[in-house]
Amino acid sequence: MTLFWVLLWALAAWRVDSPLVLPSPLKTLEGVIILAGDFEFFVSIGVTLLRVFGGVFISVVLGLLLGLAGGLNKPFYEIMNPFVSAIKSLPVVSVIILINLWIASGLVPLVVTFLICFPVTWTNVVQGVRATDKKLLEMAKIYNVEQTRIIRDIYVPSVKPYAVSALMNAIGLGWKVTVTAEVLANALPSIGMNLYYAKIYLETDLLFSWTLVIVICSLAIEKITLHVIGNNRKGDGQCPLS
Amino acid sequence: MSIIIKNISKKYGGETIFDDFNLVFEKNKITGILGPSGAGKTTLLNLCSGLEQPDRGTIEGINFQSSSYIFQEPRLLPWRTVRENLRFVFKEKAINKAGSHEDDIDAMLELVGLATVGDYYPQELSGGMRQRVSIARAFLYPSELLLMDEPFSSLDCSLKNRLIDDFLKIWEQDKRTVIFVSHHEDEIRRLAHVILTFSDKPVQILKKEILK
Repeated sequence: MTLFWVLLWALAAWRVDSPLVLPSPLKTLEGVIILAGDFEFFVSIGVTLLRVFGGVFISVVLGLLLGLAGGLNKPFYEIMNPFVSAIKSLPVVSVIILINLWIASGLVPLVVTFLICFPVTWTNVVQGVRATDKKLLEMAKIYNVEQTRIIRDIYVPSVKPYAVSALMNAIGLGWKVTVTAEVLANALPSIGMNLYYAKIYLETDLLFSWTLVIVICSLAIEKITLHVIGNNRKGDGQCPLS
Repeated sequence: MSIIIKNISKKYGGETIFDDFNLVFEKNKITGILGPSGAGKTTLLNLCSGLEQPDRGTIEGINFQSSSYIFQEPRLLPWRTVRENLRFVFKEKAINKAGSHEDDIDAMLELVGLATVGDYYPQELSGGMRQRVSIARAFLYPSELLLMDEPFSSLDCSLKNRLIDDFLKIWEQDKRTVIFVSHHEDEIRRLAHVILTFSDKPVQILKKEILK
C-alpha cells in the first residue's frame, strides 16, 4: 500500500515537473542523504528528540500520578478538572506564543508538548481508574487487603491499557506540537527551524526531506515504544488491551 | 460463638428487604439458604461480610475483618498467577518473611488439585479450576466465617459434584461457619447441615430443616 502512494507521489511530481512546487520521492531521498552528510543534521534531530521525549515523559509521569489521584479522589478530580479542561480548549498556537513570551525559546517546545500531552494522559488514566472492575475491589475489601496493594495490584494493571493508549497518543501529538513550537519559537538547533529555513529559502526539496525525516523518526519511535510495551506485557501476565 | 442477626432492617430504593429480621447461624456449621431470586439472600451475605450496613439492627459474633467470600464468579486478578492470587489475601508484611505462607499455599494447591498450575494465569485455566482457586483463597485467608454466593452455579453437573466433594474435604480439615446461598436445592442438600428457606421480600424464614 505504501508503494502505491509513493508511486502516486512520483507520478504527480513528474506531471507537475517543478521541484520547487513538488519534488519527486527520489529528489526528496537524495536531499535526506545530503543532509545526513552534515553533523548538524544529527544535532538537530537529537535536540528535537530530547524535547519530544522530555515533554512526553513529564506528561506521562505526571498524568499517571495525578490521574490515579484524580480517579481515586473525587475532590482532587474536581480541583484538577477545570485546569485540564482549560488547557485542552486552548489553541496550540496561542499556547506556543504565550509561553514564548515567558520563557527561553529552547524550552518552549518542551513546555508546550507537556501542556498538550498532559491532559490526554490525565484524562485516560482517570478513565482507567473509573473502569476498574468493582468486583475485584469488593473482593480486596472482603479480604482486608492494604490500600497500597490494591493500588499496585488492581488499579495500576487496570489502568495500564489506558496509559499505553495515552502514551501512544502523547508520542504522536508530541512530535507534531514540538516541531510546530520549534518553528514559532525560533528554537535552535531543531528540526522545526530547518523546516522553516527550507521554506524561506524556497528549498522545497529540503522541506520535503526534513518532513520525511520527521515521518521516519516518528514511525521508528512508535515501533520501538510498542515493542518495549509488548515485551513488558509478556512479563506482566496477559492484561488485555482495551 | 454463633452469629446472631438481631432486628435488622434494610431498604433499597424504598423496597424493604429486611424488616426487623432475626436469625442465628450456628458456629462451625454449614447453613444453606434457599429462596427466590432477589429475595435478599446476597444482601444478607453482604451484610454479614461488612460490604453493606443494615439501616437498623446489629449483627453479633462476627469480626468483619475475618470473613472469606466465594463469589459466583472467581474474581481472580487476571494479571497475576494462581500463586500470586493466593498470596494477595495475606498481609504484605507476612509475605515478606522468608518462606512465610508458601508452604500453606503449596498444601492448599495440592488439596484442591492445582499443584501443577500454580504459575499459570487465570485465563489459562478452565472455569472449574478458577473456582477451585477461589475456594483455596477463601480457606487460606484466616477467617472465622465463610460466605458463599452460588459458587457452583456456572459449572456443569459433574464438575459441580467434584467441586462440592473437594469443598467438603477441605471443610472437614478446617471447619468454619459457612453461610451458603443457592437456587439449587441439590447443592444445598449435599453441603448444608441446616437449610433455611427464605420468602420473597421482606424476608421471612418459611422453613428450617436440620439435616446433620
